[in-house]
Formats: sequence, C-alpha cells, structure tokens
Amino acid sequence: MKNFRKIFLRVAVVLLATGLFIPPAAHAQKKISVLTWNIPYFTDGFNKWVAEFNKKYPDIQIERLDKKGTEWSTFYQTQVVAGTAPDIIDIQGGLWLEYASKGGLVDLTPYLKKDAEYTKQFYPEILRGWVYEGKQYGVPFYISKTLLFYNKNMFKEAGIKDPPKNFQEILDYARKMTKGEKSGFMTLNFDWLYWPIFAMNGVQLLTPDLKKAAFNTPEAVKLVDTLGKATQDGVINKISWTGRWVEPNDAFAAGTVGMFHAHAPAFLWFKSKAPWVTEETVGATHLPGGWSTPNSHSILISKSCKYPDAAWDFIKIATTGEGAYLLGVGTNNLTGNIPANRRLLEYFAKTLPVAVPVLKTQLEHLDKLCGNWPVAKDAEIKEAFYPELQNALLGRKSAKDALKEAENKVNRVLQKR
Amino acid sequence: MRNRHAFSEMSPMAFLNPDFFKRNRTRQLFLIWFFLTPSLVIFTLYRIIPLFWNGVLSFQFWSPYQESQFAGFAHYEEMFFYDDVFWKVLWNTILLMASAPIGIALALLIAVLVNTPIRGRNVYRTIVFMSYPVMTVAVGIIWQWLYNEKVGLINYVLISLGILQKGIPFLGNFTLALPCVILASIWQVIGFYMIILLGGLQNIDPSLYEVAAVDGANAWNRFWKITLPLLKPLIFLCFVIGIINSFTAFDLIFVMTQGGPGHATDLLITRIYNVAFKLSKFDYAAAMTVVNFLFFLGLTLLANKLAGGEAGAVEMER
Repeated sequence: MKNFRKIFLRVAVVLLATGLFIPPAAHAQKKISVLTWNIPYFTDGFNKWVAEFNKKYPDIQIERLDKKGTEWSTFYQTQVVAGTAPDIIDIQGGLWLEYASKGGLVDLTPYLKKDAEYTKQFYPEILRGWVYEGKQYGVPFYISKTLLFYNKNMFKEAGIKDPPKNFQEILDYARKMTKGEKSGFMTLNFDWLYWPIFAMNGVQLLTPDLKKAAFNTPEAVKLVDTLGKATQDGVINKISWTGRWVEPNDAFAAGTVGMFHAHAPAFLWFKSKAPWVTEETVGATHLPGGWSTPNSHSILISKSCKYPDAAWDFIKIATTGEGAYLLGVGTNNLTGNIPANRRLLEYFAKTLPVAVPVLKTQLEHLDKLCGNWPVAKDAEIKEAFYPELQNALLGRKSAKDALKEAENKVNRVLQKR
Repeated sequence: MRNRHAFSEMSPMAFLNPDFFKRNRTRQLFLIWFFLTPSLVIFTLYRIIPLFWNGVLSFQFWSPYQESQFAGFAHYEEMFFYDDVFWKVLWNTILLMASAPIGIALALLIAVLVNTPIRGRNVYRTIVFMSYPVMTVAVGIIWQWLYNEKVGLINYVLISLGILQKGIPFLGNFTLALPCVILASIWQVIGFYMIILLGGLQNIDPSLYEVAAVDGANAWNRFWKITLPLLKPLIFLCFVIGIINSFTAFDLIFVMTQGGPGHATDLLITRIYNVAFKLSKFDYAAAMTVVNFLFFLGLTLLANKLAGGEAGAVEMER
C-alpha cells in the first residue's frame, strides 16, 4: 500500500506538470462555414468560389459542410443548439421559414437594397419566395419547380397525341393508359409538390391572411374523392401518396407510369436508372394551367454568423456571374440568376440537350407558383394535413371526414403558440 | 452481515485527521471513490443532468433563438388531449413490446430442437444465432429489400408459387407494415433468445426427465411441468430484453419505413426524434420523452416486482 501511494503521487505530479506545460491554444483563425444540401460532388466550382472569396478576405477560411436532405435539418438544429450553427446555409423548400420566424436568420433586405445591380439579376417572382413578413431572408441558389413528364410510348399505345390540357384530360388519359401493372398518373408528394393538382381545381390551403384553414370546401371534397377513386382503381399509382423520392422515380424509370408530376431534378435521377429515357420517349410539359410548386434552393446567413458582411460577399460570388454559372454546370440545374441562366441553357444545349426542354419549363409560368405559403409553421401544417389526405386517397376514410379532421388539426396548429 | 454504513467514514472532516490515510479501511475506500469518480462524473454529466434538464424543458416554451417561457402543463395537455399521433405511436410501441413472447416462443422451440441429439445441431445453432450480431441498420436494409414490391424475394416467391398475381407493397401498406417490421425485429433477436434458453435447457438435470418418464409423463407433460417452470427466470429475462428493444428500436424503423406509411410504424422513440428535429419542437419532444421515461420506469418496476424485487441487488462484504 505504501508503494502504491508513492506511485500514485508520482503519476499525479507528472499529470499536473504535463497540464502546466501544454502550450496555450493558438489564436483561432477566422472562419466561415458553408453547409450545402446534398451536393458533395460539387467541388471544383466551390473551390473556385473560395479562391475568389479569399482574394478579398485572405484571413477568412471557408469550411465546407454537406449533408443529405434527410440529415440536413437534424444536423443544422443540433448545431444551432450547440451554438455552432453553420454561417451560410443552402436550404431546400420552406424549412427556412421556421428559422426566420424565430430570428435565426440574417435579414438580407439591407444588403439587397444597397446593391440594386445585384438584385435586378434575379427573377422577381423567384426572389419573392424568400420573403417573410416583409423581409428578404434568402437569395436563389438553384431553382426547380414541378412539371409533368410523360411517357410517349405509353401515350402512343393508348392513342393519345398531346399532353393533357386540363384536369379532366389528366384523368381520362391516365385511365386509358392504366392496364395491368401500368398506371396512368403519379405525383411526388413531399414539400407540397402535389399541391398544383389542388390549385388547378381552385382549392386554397389557407385564407389570404394565413390564419385559418380554407381547404374544407365542396370542391376540395369532390377533388379528393375523385383522386381517391382513381387511386383505388390503379389509375393514379398508390406510390404517389406513400412513396417519397426513390419509389416514385423508380416506378417511372421502370416505364410503367404514363404521366409523372415531379420537379426537374427527378429527370436526371430517373434518366440515370432508365436507358430508354430519351427525347423521343419522354416529354416534359407544364401541368394544365401552368401551376407548379417551387422546390428551389436558397442561400441564407445564420444569425450567429460572426462575419455577415463577408458571408454576404461569398453569397454574391456563388449566385452571380461565373460563380452562378459554375453552380449550374456542376449541379445540372438552372440558377435564380438571369444572365447565368442564358449561358447555362447554351451550355446544356451542347452537352445535355435532352435536359433542355425540362430546364426551360423551370423559367416559365413563374406567376403560377403555389404550395409555397410564407407560414412559419409550414412543417406542422404539413404534418396535420397530409396524413388525413393520405387516409382519404388510400380509401381509409371518406374525403369529407378526412378534410374535416384535417381542418380541425390545421386550425389548431395555427391557433396554438 | 451487510455493512450499510461503510461510506459514512468518508465524511469531509475525516480528511483533516493527519492519520487519515494510515488506516487501511480508509485507503480502501479512497481507492474505491478514486476509481468510481470518473465514471460517476460522466454518468452525471451525460445522464443525470440531461434527464433533469429534459424534465425542466418539458415545462417550457423553448427555442434556440429566443428566451424560454414557462409553459406549465401546456405540452402535456397537447399530448394527451389533442395529439392523436401520440396515442397511435404509444399503441405501436406497446404492440412491438407485446410481440416479444412470439419471438421467445419461437426461440424456445428452436432451443428445444437443437438441444436434442440431432446431427449437425451445432451448425443449426450457429445459423440461427448469426442474425444477432448483424447491425440493426443492416437488418433493416436486408428486410427492406426482402419486402420490396417489385424486386423483393418474398413477393417473387409468392408470385412464383401462384399465391399472388402481383407484388404486395408490404412496407407501404397501413395494415401490414408494422407486422413486417416486428417480423424483422424478431428475426434479429431470436438467435440471442435461443442461446439464453439453450443454456437454461442444458442446466436442467436430466434425471428429472428420467423420473418423469418412469412415472408415465409424456413429452408434452415433461415440457410443461418440468422444462417451462425451470426456464421461467430466463424466459422472464428474455421478455425484459424484448421490452427494452421495443423502446429502442429507432434504427430499425428509421431504416425500414421512417415511421410510415402515415405513422403506421412510428414508435414513441421515432416520434420524439421527428418532433424534435423535423418539427423543431424540442420542448414538446422533451415532454414526450418524460412520458416515455415514466412508462418505461413503471414497466421496469413491475418487472422487478414480478422477479421477486431483488433485481440489481448487490451483496456487500461482511
């Protein structure tokens, strides 16, 4: 025991001495972190942005982070709680509303007002997509919205010449193409991407003041009932309401779906799975009426960013001129920048001509965007609405009961704190 | 005799005595505390304090961007009276828990079979056990593919046998999704249960069976009157493990169905995750965690009582 005490005391002294001689932490370098949404392959263009940025800010290091869509919000929120939120963030859809409503994002309005030359490079309808309570929180990163893909082979077999011009024709054409394993119509359902079907039938989700549910109407009941019956009959593929991304794209790639309502990124995804997809076999057009839900990505600054002015300069590099062009080329998307898109369409016409008709639809009918309400509780409203809609569409509840229940739940979400 | 007052010798004033460390007993106690302290500190930091903080959070309106405000029982009111998803996921959790006896029964049957002197029984034991060390994520991915409507093996076999005309979307079906997940869960743990029960079977004195056979007991009577009663503690252990698994089956659900379709396979634990990280409602998720904890605590206390009240007891030296 005596020896043990000696050993113990010696070890303790050594540990203490080591602690005293650890050199103080080097002065922390200035850093701006950038969190992107599932584009880890986009490296060359990003490095060029960084090189351009470092010409003005040689003392600020850019740290790149990238997360898949399913992990993005979990990662970001844990970082926010930990006090280490990424400074610049690339967000898809309406997630940003939650953060903006709670003061978690920098208001970019002053920056945009100061730089009119920069601001006028963007499509005003697209730029408006990131306004909350009169303040601009984000600028477009790359854009996408829904459109209608159609299988020309299935159209030909069913004797259909042109894409549908109204909702009834969608159903009629879909019914004609439905046979055995094949179904006539399918839609993506995440982030309100199915909402154009409702918009084209005159259904509103909320009242104009965004304070109450407005969808429980006879027209909506009739529409949901029609969609439900079509789903039960196999005319609308059930995956429309139960799948998320992989299953619907796989189904269209398998060549068993006549019309696929999805956003532009779906094209390259299902094309990569289906060698039969060419300009001759797959067409791209707008949904009747030009209705579409945007699912664009924006770039924003977290409130905790220590260098917001420098972060803004980085954003400008990424969203204008050569930077925006590199983004479009690197991700096969169009951006929110008008001059950059002209160059990108020329580029894609030479390198990926099959994608050009799809990409052109992304810049048309920008006055018919829907499914993008500037409501802070967007995620909760979706949670309240969609399961009830799903119940009706899959035949578990009547349309009337489902919409009534959904109305109660949505109103509760809007009313409570 | 248990010494219940051993640690009272470590009173703060005792350290002032210059002869303190000369006492053998004192040095022993000092050593014990010296080695225990790091673990206790970590346990306190990462278990006790978060548990306490979670409880506090459940009574607040909290956001990482704004100052918190006292919420009283608002979250509990919301959960119990307005949130039908909460009751759905609680029911799913109970169903998953209640499926443990099915896995135990199957494991017992397999254990009895591989305990007989059949040829290759060691190989069978190994094959059955092999599912247990597989990572739960891998189990989820395997079964997800097995259940696939288009390319899954299960649908392929059923269609080939003429039982089905076209594939069933097992994991996309509201009624079938949860049983399918439960089957995957049972598949994963059955090997573990089998090993535990097999150990118990091999510890039963064979002479008991011989005597029973001489007395005219048939195989079923011997199983029911001898095997089962003697295996009761181990069966109970398996059941407790099954309950624990049902509360922690996050990874299996996350990989296979993400709680869908329409919360059909959502458990309390996955719902808490989604509420916190998808809906950004950490305060409400904290309230659900408190309910989850109390429910689990109640079950554990009940299990302890049914086991005789001595679970976790430590015999002290005389």
